[in-house]
Amino acid sequence: MVRITLCGIASCLMLSPALGQKPGPPELTQQQADSRTVLGVVNEYLAAGAEAIRAKDYDEGIRLTKLGLDRPNAARDRAAALSNLCAAHAAKNEPDTAIGYCTESLDINQMNWRAYSNRAYAYYLKRQFDLADSDLDAALSLNPSARQMPQIRGMMNERRLRGRVTMEEHQ
Amino acid sequence: MHNAAAIATAFLALVCAETSAARDDVDPVGTWSCVVWGHPDFGDERVLLNFDPRGVARLARIENDAVPAWSGLTPWIAEDRALKFSDPRTGRQYTADLRRDNLGGSWRTMTTTGGWWCAVADVDVVPETTQERVAALPPILPLVTATPRYPIEAIRLAKQGRVVTCFLVDAAGVIVEPEIIELSDEMFRKPILVALGRSRYEPRAADSVLRPSCRSYTFSLDRLAQHEIELEFD
Repeated sequence: MVRITLCGIASCLMLSPALGQKPGPPELTQQQADSRTVLGVVNEYLAAGAEAIRAKDYDEGIRLTKLGLDRPNAARDRAAALSNLCAAHAAKNEPDTAIGYCTESLDINQMNWRAYSNRAYAYYLKRQFDLADSDLDAALSLNPSARQMPQIRGMMNERRLRGRVTMEEHQ
Repeated sequence: MHNAAAIATAFLALVCAETSAARDDVDPVGTWSCVVWGHPDFGDERVLLNFDPRGVARLARIENDAVPAWSGLTPWIAEDRALKFSDPRTGRQYTADLRRDNLGGSWRTMTTTGGWWCAVADVDVVPETTQERVAALPPILPLVTATPRYPIEAIRLAKQGRVVTCFLVDAAGVIVEPEIIELSDEMFRKPILVALGRSRYEPRAADSVLRPSCRSYTFSLDRLAQHEIELEFD
């Protein structure tokens, strides 16, 4: 069984806060703000799509986000929306589609650690752990304090590592 | 209200003082049946250690199923609640933390390290005959050896480690008074103690004395091959 329960989709997959998140304290430093909010320019479909994905209504989230992408958007909003599509498809256990969106997002904005994190999860679903490791490293270099990366790495370790206990009796 | 708090504080202080007083340091004076372990290449030894009140320390080891006469050790000293002595023959410098529940600790030479663990021996002097000597340090034989589980959290964090535990074995073969001597990470403690609780040694009908033993555990991780990972998912 894929251990989604340990790291629920909602907690492992990263939605861009630029799209539809309520205002709150910033999580990232200014240097890392490339993946973050561009206030006032987000179109309502992208915002609604992000909310739907966050509410685990993935199909509705995908539909709304695609509608939003049909409209003119700032490049960073577009990158964030593609990362959200990636997250939604990964949550639906559609890693190939997810990887495509994440890659497209990263082509636009290479500083979006969430896209790396989401793609790492998609690679994890495909059991391509080396690629997932690479994306996790990239995400961690952009945001060392993100909680999701250790979770994903832990899930991978559960799958790819086997514990062995050897004992030596002394007497 | 203040009086109640003061009374409670005084009671706690009293309990703590009594608890502290009840836990005396181990008195090394006497004869001890011990296991001395180190690098696997050198094997383990069962020895008798004797510490007399004047500071004289002696050791007798089993060699070829016999225990030769005592050999002299450097005088033992106890300072800062630690016992120290050394064996001129092997160059091992022994130390023991006397605050433990039992006598034992570590030893080191210039190049190697190891540990030792003891139980009070049921002999005061080394017996004269070979049969008596062997009987003074009987082996204890494992009957059930439970394997500790690898903590899932350690796997997630890719943590490997090592644990050394020493304990006594009673006449029924039950492990008692286990102590963790070396612990690379706290997350390995519980599985070791659980495994020890499930392990048993051969009962010794004719021997009611507690016997010492130690175990080293190595927790290591193997990276699965890709095809093995596929199987894991199925």
